[in-house]
Amino acid sequence: MEAEEVHRCVKCGLCLVTCPVYQELREESASPRAKVQLIKHYAARDLPTSPHLSELVSRCLMCGSCTANCPSGVRHDSLFRRMRSDLIDDYGENWKKKVLYHFLTHAAQLHWASKFAAFGRNVVLEKIAQEVKIGNIPLKRLPKFNQKPFRDQIADVIEPLGKPRGRVLYFTGCGTNYIYADVGRATVQVLQRMGYRVGIPKDQVCCGLPLFIQGSVSKTKENILKNIALFTRPDIDAVIVDCATCGSALRHEYPAVLADLQTDTREALELSRKVKDIGEFIFDNVEHLQPFLKATASPTIVTYHSPCHLRNAQGVKTHVEQLLEALPPVDYIRSVDFDSCCGGGGTFFYDHPNLSQRIVAKKIENAKATGARLLATGCPGCRVNLAGNLEETDAIEVVHPIQVVELGLKV
Amino acid sequence: MLKPDVKSQLKTIVGRERFLDAPEDILSYAYDAYVAECVPEAVIFPVNSEEVAHILALASKERIPVTARGAGTSLSGGAVPARQGLALCFTQMNKILQISTRDRYAIVQPGVVNGDLQKALGRERFFYPPDPASFTVSTIGGNVGENAGGPRCLKYGVTADYVMGLEVVLASGKIIRSGSRNVKDVSGYNLTSLFCGSEGTLGLVTEITLKIMPLPEAHRTILAIYDDLEKTANTVADIIGSGILPVALELMDKTVINVVEDATQLGLPREAEGMLLIEVDGITEAVEKEMNRIVAKTRNNGAIEVKQARTQAETDDLWKARRSTYSAFARLAPTCIVEDATVPVSNVPRMVGGIRAIADKHKVRIGILAHAGDGNMHPVISTDIRNKEEWARVQTATREIFELAVSLDGTLSGEHGIGLAKAEFLPLVTNADTREFMAALKKTVDPHGILNPGKFV
Ligand SMILES: Cc1cc2nc3c(=O)[nH]c(=O)nc-3n(C[C@H](O)[C@H](O)[C@H](O)COP(=O)(O)OP(=O)(O)OC[C@H]3O[C@@H](n4cnc5c(N)ncnc54)[C@H](O)[C@@H]3O)c2cc1C
Repeated sequence: MEAEEVHRCVKCGLCLVTCPVYQELREESASPRAKVQLIKHYAARDLPTSPHLSELVSRCLMCGSCTANCPSGVRHDSLFRRMRSDLIDDYGENWKKKVLYHFLTHAAQLHWASKFAAFGRNVVLEKIAQEVKIGNIPLKRLPKFNQKPFRDQIADVIEPLGKPRGRVLYFTGCGTNYIYADVGRATVQVLQRMGYRVGIPKDQVCCGLPLFIQGSVSKTKENILKNIALFTRPDIDAVIVDCATCGSALRHEYPAVLADLQTDTREALELSRKVKDIGEFIFDNVEHLQPFLKATASPTIVTYHSPCHLRNAQGVKTHVEQLLEALPPVDYIRSVDFDSCCGGGGTFFYDHPNLSQRIVAKKIENAKATGARLLATGCPGCRVNLAGNLEETDAIEVVHPIQVVELGLKV
Repeated sequence: MLKPDVKSQLKTIVGRERFLDAPEDILSYAYDAYVAECVPEAVIFPVNSEEVAHILALASKERIPVTARGAGTSLSGGAVPARQGLALCFTQMNKILQISTRDRYAIVQPGVVNGDLQKALGRERFFYPPDPASFTVSTIGGNVGENAGGPRCLKYGVTADYVMGLEVVLASGKIIRSGSRNVKDVSGYNLTSLFCGSEGTLGLVTEITLKIMPLPEAHRTILAIYDDLEKTANTVADIIGSGILPVALELMDKTVINVVEDATQLGLPREAEGMLLIEVDGITEAVEKEMNRIVAKTRNNGAIEVKQARTQAETDDLWKARRSTYSAFARLAPTCIVEDATVPVSNVPRMVGGIRAIADKHKVRIGILAHAGDGNMHPVISTDIRNKEEWARVQTATREIFELAVSLDGTLSGEHGIGLAKAEFLPLVTNADTREFMAALKKTVDPHGILNPGKFV
């Protein structure tokens, strides 16, 4: 593989403090600097490919913290992704993971009912289910699927309440469509209240990032082109995304992947400029929300987990916290490690369950220490991981920030 | 190659999980922040002194080289296992064992990260003064190994000034203790100082007792801008010579200013020839008075502008240029080297002018950054080690910088250590008898030369 990038690393080691995996293991070989070293030697062909190399390179949450903080400007995220892509070519993917991806990326094309039937009959999926835990998450703590996909529950266009302010398109992502319909409903309700006409293109598909993160570049192109065709429109103010991962895909990965594949990037760039995270969008327009917020004498204590794909990949660092602080019914308390990765990392929780469990346990402990009843996070992956690792007796509940906003609306 | 039975004995000492020898694993212990690399034969992670003792006893018996490693941020190749053997990593011995604010000490294991200790002390309104710019990652063991410094060491002193006691495992596997929890202690040789800066060549440090201090009440920061580099450097000598002791006195030349401005767009004065970042701390009234004297001195020496920070945010802004320097240079080209020659402060003006001339003569991109208040130069060189011709010029320039420092009563390294980077220059600052004395010491405590071989001794 081509890896000129590796020569930019001066091996200063400052990435060690940013890497959640290194912080947990305290082994150089788990650090971003070490992965760059491995890739350098692999690219120079003096380190042959091997299952162990693949294992070491995969011990990464793809959280992007190293990239965001690297003094030398090394783009670890894209470097690691290309390396994974090479390793998949060498070894193929773990078969269980393949089934999970297939399930995710093709889900939208299948009919929902038939998919459930397929789940029941698919021996491979059954085998996964029998493991009792999926990765670090006990089966009984996995979220239930929506009765019907969110997009089948709602009209394609929702008219604003009160004075119209503008038009937005809503990219619902797989998380909301298949698991967290509550997030979809809250998003629509809040946007509608603020005066936006919300369009929800029915034929939208998985953003493709889950595939892409694992290095399967070629498979993602089809999804990308389809979404670009549906969402790149001159007559809208913004494309709203409620998932940090989808947001980073639409904002940054689409133009980058297409450029890599030598495909025209103009429309992707146009789309990228309009993409807004729901928390970011609401905070930027918070004056239109304010009239509809209720005052409360006894506010709820809320804390926040900042998703890596929002903070590092999209640079949305303070908006959501500021939004929570602006809500009268909320007493926002920051958790000491609110901006460190939860350990979910796409399929990391599945590939490295013990390590992931150690990382998430700390996050949960610190979130609980704030005394919060709600832990808000704008990423379904983080939400599954955090909620999946709570105990039955824990009084804290994991929600999307938009649900906290919804709680604050006047009835 | 390590013999199979030696490997299995090592695994018995620490357990399977804390011993690595797969080619993919050991490759990541070949480097530190210097340019050289050498892959060890195995990597081991002890978690207590007894394990370290067992490992060293075995290594001595089998004549296996052992190189200690903290975070691997040494800029001189100190942590590079130059003769292979074992890389012995202290990163999992990272407990803060005790903090006593009443008696003003802290006891830590060597793998404790400097920044983590600062955080723990901060909660008690205390701090540990040595503050290498790598403090977020570098370990106290590594700080002791290199006798690390940092910006505020001008006023407070370096690592060795804060190490009150050590537990050290010798090459034989014997465990010794030096110093105590007492600020004053003359019970025998001052072994503690001997180990500071010894780069893991005399023994492996397994516990450290550090002096700590209450946080100062107030601090004030200014940035003085000059149209002449000599005037900038003269101010440094003038301030220190007059008896004022700032907590930090950092110098940046025109190259640094422009490289940083390109990278950050902070709005730095691109035409300026030099800048001084000066900070004082202490009791509020004293800080005020000292700063007034400093501002007067910068003006008397011809500063064209003096910016004074009034709030914490403004202070952070003033520090931004200084803090961004390493990163800005690291982004310019693939290889970034920070040199470390140091001269008595009255010679700072001549040293600064001399470095500039050397850079121009060899057409090497060198930015002059310095902890100028204590004469510690940090010329930052950005280059590409793969470009042989340029690399040769960089090496010539580096040698000339060392020679210049020595001609000005200076020394090779203020804080980064000798390691691999500067071993060949040691004769510039030590005579043969001195080096023989070091070798004799080394031979006595490490007769088989297993501790970090291939370095300066
Ligand atoms: C970006 C950057 C900025 C820096 N800024 C500064 C600065 O401002 N001031 C400064 O002084 N240095 C600075 N350094 C250099 C470096 O960070 C210091 O030398 C630091 O003390 C090294 O600590 P470490 O934990 O990384 O040790 P390592 O690099 O792992 O080891 C350093 C040396 O100590 C030995 N050693 C490690 N642990 C032990 C032990 N337990 N017992 C015995 N020997 C041991 C090693 O064998 C090696 O010789 C900087 C480095 C970088 C990359």
